[in-house]
Amino acid sequence: MPDTVSPYLRFDNVSLGRGARTVFDGFSASLGERRVGLIGNNGSGKSTLLRLAAGLLLPDAGEVFVEGLETKTHRGELPGNVGFLFQNPDHQILFPTVGEEIAFGLTEKGMTDAEANAAARELLAANGCEGWEKRAVHELSEGQRQLVCLLSVIAPEPSVLLLDEPFSSLDLPTRLDLSDRLRALPQAVVMASHDFEFLSAFDRLLWLDDGRVREDGRPATVIAAYEASIRGLKTARRA
Amino acid sequence: MISNYLGRETWLHRMPAGAKLAALAILSVVILPVDDWRALVAALAGVVLLYASLGKEAFKRLAMIRSFAVLLAIIAALHLLAGTWQEAVAAVARLVMMILLADLVSMTTTMQAMMAALTPVLTLLRPFGLNPRKLSLAVSLAIRFIPVLSANWEARSEAWRARTGRRPSFRLLGPFIADTFRIADHVAEALDARGVARSRRGGREWG
Repeated sequence: MPDTVSPYLRFDNVSLGRGARTVFDGFSASLGERRVGLIGNNGSGKSTLLRLAAGLLLPDAGEVFVEGLETKTHRGELPGNVGFLFQNPDHQILFPTVGEEIAFGLTEKGMTDAEANAAARELLAANGCEGWEKRAVHELSEGQRQLVCLLSVIAPEPSVLLLDEPFSSLDLPTRLDLSDRLRALPQAVVMASHDFEFLSAFDRLLWLDDGRVREDGRPATVIAAYEASIRGLKTARRA
Repeated sequence: MISNYLGRETWLHRMPAGAKLAALAILSVVILPVDDWRALVAALAGVVLLYASLGKEAFKRLAMIRSFAVLLAIIAALHLLAGTWQEAVAAVARLVMMILLADLVSMTTTMQAMMAALTPVLTLLRPFGLNPRKLSLAVSLAIRFIPVLSANWEARSEAWRARTGRRPSFRLLGPFIADTFRIADHVAEALDARGVARSRRGGREWG
């Protein structure tokens, strides 16, 4: 496991069941790199791990620390520190217009409506979306909606971003555009994805398999091991 | 998530949300005792003109009244059975007008403006231990979800028609309600992720 200096995210012997299923049983990991990717089959625990880190789920046993804050006791402070980007933009967007969607996180942080609206306008302009604030969200394309989600999440300036397969429903041009924007973000990013090309530039990858870390290290090594295992399984099945 | 908000700004968008909500409330009360069918039809024509004044896109939204066709037909039939055709026309015109007026407000008002207008009113409930901002968010979300749920019902009916060739049946109700709960779960999680209602401890099942 690569050395991590001052981790922003730490899982300490975490156990979590969802219904009858045990997702994690004594899971421990420590993340401190600027770009960390999570790979693995569907159901391996990637989404659940991100939700634990955002405090959307709390561990049954063990502890999760984000920027030193334990998620059970500091739940209220987490949204200011971590931003969570959902897989499906429609699961995040609550408001009918772009401006108020972005402003919402800011008013939750204590800004007045007027201040939050001004900040939303500025953020949109800075990201090449001048004048979008009055547009109806449902009139935007899927990629534009995902961009609005990203801007809403980074507006309150969290230090850690958790991204749950943000590319899964996007076409290639929008995916490339969003990739460029993600690359440029100053925040630490933990991202679950199947986009190995994008993940190959990351600092570290974790391959999750049935709630455990199967492989941990540089992207090239981890991706190769993952792909080899999938191919191995297929050949074994064919034989 | 679908909404009925009109993206292109009109004069009604620029009206303060509080004024629009107050006008809606007052008009609804004023319309209620009127039973002269001619007056009601004339007023309805006025509402249609109001839609026309907002441009072509808004005018097309008038078609949404079709989804109330069955309900309106039942109301008209009951009035025809129990009374006169004038009463039937009056009842239908009154109801259509109220629906259209309410739709005008939600079509041209952002949720933020709606919440800002509702919060001072709901502050009156503070002595009962209710948080006015959370309450106004809840009320606005409830209004916001009417088009979401009707779109969801439409989508299910379409799938039903495509696979059975028959009219939607009550059997769709089960999956529709299950879907509604799923949407509610997603909204709850989205609110949670943005820091709403984080005062309580303990997690929520996410599914």
